[in-house]
Amino acid sequence: MKVSLNWIKKYIDIDDIAPSELADRLTFAGVEVEAVEKLSTATKLVIGKVVECVPHPDSDHLSLTKVNTGEKHGVLQIVCGAPNVKAGQKVIVALDGAMLPGGKISKGLIRGVESQGMICSMLELGVDAKFLTADQIAGIEVLDDDAVVGNENVLEYLGLDDTILDLKLLANRSDLHSVLNVAREISTLYQREVRLPRPNQYQAVKSSFTVLSKTPLCPQFSGRVIHNIKVETSPSWLKKTLQSMGVRSINNIVDIGNYVMLLSGQPLHMYDLDKLPKPELIIKDDYVGSFTALDGKEYDVRKGDIAITSANQVMCLGGIMGSLASAVTEKTKNIVIEVANFAFDAIRRTSSRLALASDSSSRFVKGINPYQYDEVMGLATDLIVSLCKTKQIEQTVTYDARQVDQPPLISTSVSYINNRLGTRFLQSEIVETLKRDWMNVEVLNRDDIRVGVPAWRIDIGGEADISEEVIRILGLDKIANTLPSLQVTVGGYPKDKKQINLIRRHLTARGLDEILTYSLVKAEELDGFRILTKGESHRLINPLTDEHEYMRLSLIPSMLKVASHNIARGSKNLALYEVSDIDTTAEATTRLGLVLAGSDLYHHQLSEVPYSFFHLKGLIESIASLLGIKEARYSFEKLATSEQELHPGRSALLKINGQVAGYLGEIHPAATSKYELGKNKVFVAEIDLPVLLSLENGQTAFKAFSRFPAVQRDLSLVAAVSVAAQQISKTILSVDRIIKKVDIFDIYSGDGIEQGHKSIALTITYEREDRTLKDEEVNAVEKAVLEALNKKLGINLRT
Amino acid sequence: MEQALARLEQLKENISEEINKAASKNALVEVRNTHLSKKAEINNMMALIKNFSGADKARFGQAINDIRQSLNELYDTRMQAFLDDEVSAKLASEQIDISLPGINYQAGGTNPVFLVRDEILDIFISMGYEVKEGRDVETDHYNFELMNIPKNHPSRDMQDSFYISENLLLRTHTSPAQARAMEEKKGEMVKVVCPGKCYRRDNDDMTHSHQFGQIEGLLVGKDINLAHLKATLDLFIKKMFGPKREIRLVSSYFPFTEPSVEVQVSCAECGGKGCPTCKDTGYIEILGAGMVHPNVLKMSGYDPNIYSGFAFGIGIERVAMLRYKVDDIRRFYQNDVRFLKQFVRK
Repeated sequence: MKVSLNWIKKYIDIDDIAPSELADRLTFAGVEVEAVEKLSTATKLVIGKVVECVPHPDSDHLSLTKVNTGEKHGVLQIVCGAPNVKAGQKVIVALDGAMLPGGKISKGLIRGVESQGMICSMLELGVDAKFLTADQIAGIEVLDDDAVVGNENVLEYLGLDDTILDLKLLANRSDLHSVLNVAREISTLYQREVRLPRPNQYQAVKSSFTVLSKTPLCPQFSGRVIHNIKVETSPSWLKKTLQSMGVRSINNIVDIGNYVMLLSGQPLHMYDLDKLPKPELIIKDDYVGSFTALDGKEYDVRKGDIAITSANQVMCLGGIMGSLASAVTEKTKNIVIEVANFAFDAIRRTSSRLALASDSSSRFVKGINPYQYDEVMGLATDLIVSLCKTKQIEQTVTYDARQVDQPPLISTSVSYINNRLGTRFLQSEIVETLKRDWMNVEVLNRDDIRVGVPAWRIDIGGEADISEEVIRILGLDKIANTLPSLQVTVGGYPKDKKQINLIRRHLTARGLDEILTYSLVKAEELDGFRILTKGESHRLINPLTDEHEYMRLSLIPSMLKVASHNIARGSKNLALYEVSDIDTTAEATTRLGLVLAGSDLYHHQLSEVPYSFFHLKGLIESIASLLGIKEARYSFEKLATSEQELHPGRSALLKINGQVAGYLGEIHPAATSKYELGKNKVFVAEIDLPVLLSLENGQTAFKAFSRFPAVQRDLSLVAAVSVAAQQISKTILSVDRIIKKVDIFDIYSGDGIEQGHKSIALTITYEREDRTLKDEEVNAVEKAVLEALNKKLGINLRT
Repeated sequence: MEQALARLEQLKENISEEINKAASKNALVEVRNTHLSKKAEINNMMALIKNFSGADKARFGQAINDIRQSLNELYDTRMQAFLDDEVSAKLASEQIDISLPGINYQAGGTNPVFLVRDEILDIFISMGYEVKEGRDVETDHYNFELMNIPKNHPSRDMQDSFYISENLLLRTHTSPAQARAMEEKKGEMVKVVCPGKCYRRDNDDMTHSHQFGQIEGLLVGKDINLAHLKATLDLFIKKMFGPKREIRLVSSYFPFTEPSVEVQVSCAECGGKGCPTCKDTGYIEILGAGMVHPNVLKMSGYDPNIYSGFAFGIGIERVAMLRYKVDDIRRFYQNDVRFLKQFVRK
């Protein structure tokens, strides 16, 4: 809401308050002033009269003029480029040294002829083109004959000597979409008197016009017929006032409607009485049909829309826009003024469904003073009578179904207010403050008060609101700094968050970068990496762009985009992780994503190790060890599902208790090019953290280790290529309890080994807790190991 | 006797000279094998002892032992010198360039949004707040209704939301965590901080992001007032931005708090005097807060006549931008590693 200070000054004296100070005071009281702007910043202007105008000797479009600017500045020679400049015109002259929004004006030669100033257009003074006619934009401003030559208060003469407060109103202060209420707000803050406009009473004839609402969506509707009006251009004071508020002048009747709306906050609507099929306006919420609005477009009207009808034809979509058929035009002679209340939610619904909004609908949606229709009708009538010189006024006809005439009273107390604020205001201070705030205050006893809220403050409904009024007016700087003294509480993260933070610290220390990506992705990013996915993606019904339309099902596509971004910028060695919630139609979980690309710079460039599957596997194992999860409790299994984004031979599932808890692997070459990941190999893993974190790390007590020496024996074996190392280890471990550990130290295939086979060298550690092992014992177990390997896996000793 | 002693003396001289002359470790060993072995002349001379008697016997024995010891010592010294030279030579050959980089155990970078989130949470945890998290997908009921924002409430325009269905949306703020925390505590004191991702229908630009992080704080108990809120946030700001920062409250509006305030912090650049960073106001808007609206308490089962509370909401990116002078909010979501590597955990 932009507010003209000149208009405000009609109702309250604030000439002694600097606009910037006023802006600060309002802002601290919850009425944020975003900007304080002068309507025009032009300086050193004077009104002059063109006394001579001849073509410039050296140009085919410039004119050479002599302009009389009065005694002080004399007759100036000015070169002017405007097509409309003529001798005899009164014009605006910017003198040498003048500052215009477009720059400084200086004396100088224009095509060899001296020009001592500039004749200005309104555009050059900073007036927005939307307020100007094509002629005004193309040429200089030609002033009325009443302009006085030599007058230097040009901006005042033009109505441009105004300062505008740009209010950024919060949703609770819809009442301030009214110049009068802004004046009241200033009066509250500065304790000054407000001069409210008092509408005249008229000798009005009884009206035969009918208004009736058949819907609770329109609890009140007033109409007044005025005859014999004349639609014409508005007087300049009205035009200037609207312009200062950012509203374009149309004609006197429309302008009066806008003026009264800006003043009071109450939208009005004007109908051409003669275009109504019947002298009636019936408000319905069950009309079904179509309607051509003022903007010339056709809209469908459904049940629940507020249709203002006459002879069952829609004349207006209540609170939103009138019909083309009943619109006021230059030919209009008789009008009906509408001042009504409509349900904000119905207007909101209709307005957003039809994508049709107006100044009026936005005011209704935000909420208006429901009890000022009489006053508003009076203000509009006053203006019409004074501008149209008509005396043929009918009485206002009103439908009002509301029971309550006044907003309810609020009972509260001084102690409640002080307890809520942490203050020690006296009852007298509080009462006086609320009275400044236009409230009726009744003191019941030393503590209790009863507060009557003014009708326009629809935001105030309870005692908490009253406490806010007190402190925003008296100043939030009155609030002390007092830490609460409460029982001691133990703060902290929940257990799973603690573990996740541990994992995050671990991965950071391991050199991985922690990233943050968008949860909303485009459709293509839902494909692939869905091994862990349960359910479907949540799809937005109102996305802003298709880039961000679906809630993601996997972290990996988003993370690969980050990898691609970095690879394209020369960072080819990447180790990234992200922890993020994933919400689908079937689950709400938290995932850890890992992406490795390029090389592990083990010793920087001196010794780079290209990332491999085993880096990922190692990271996952390191997390398990960090959490105290023993190897036996999880396993890596070959990927059985056909996940097209992963290399089929270099990927695996992480399983915990038979449940899939994650996957890891090298990116399929096709996916590498799809995600534009460059030449290097990229590895990804994704883990469902709740599954991983559900494992308890069981050990709570120390377990003594053996005092007796362990025996280590190496074996060199030959196995089929298809036999996995893990199968061999597990088989060996299962043979006897004295086998504690199996460490593979060499794998070889090639010369000397049968085709389709590999050689595996490993160390077995044997140990007993109760005594030293004897050679014969170990020999016997080793024999059993070889038998088991042969029987179960077809493995032989390498010979 | 004298003859034998003279011979000994000569042997000592000769062998000493040979030991001293030995040019290498091997040559030195050769000298020892020749002159100091069991069969060497000097040892054979021990046999002469039987020819002497009395005091001479002892004198001769002593003389041989002295010479042998002195030769052995000389040998050891020379041998040690060779060994020392050998080690020195080996070490000299093993010299490295210590200016080369160490093995790469560099810590990774962290997105500053997480650094700031963790730091804020830690400050409140130190004040006894529990961390509780909600979900990104929230019901209209929790996101709006329980936050005193009924359907068609004008303030729903303030935060244009991403809807999944009529009753399901992406949370527009972390405030639903207030209702969830109160439901869980069922009348007990509530003291929680709730971090989370939020979503609004804003086009991404330098200062807007359709996704952003927020931390909600809530304290509900008996006799909680606005001065408690101010002191708590003042403490938080001083921990987060330094002891010299001051806060001030500006009246504001949120449907779920009453009174509502915007909290501003004195500008770190100019200390409150006014500069381009704070647009000459001396203060920077940092978060929104207020006393929990009685309706919100009531809807979550707390009697507003007995309980009161305060709540606040902190925009994580906003704090991160101020803290690290980040010029564009989109950088947080680009994750350029050259950006990430600049930030470390405090």
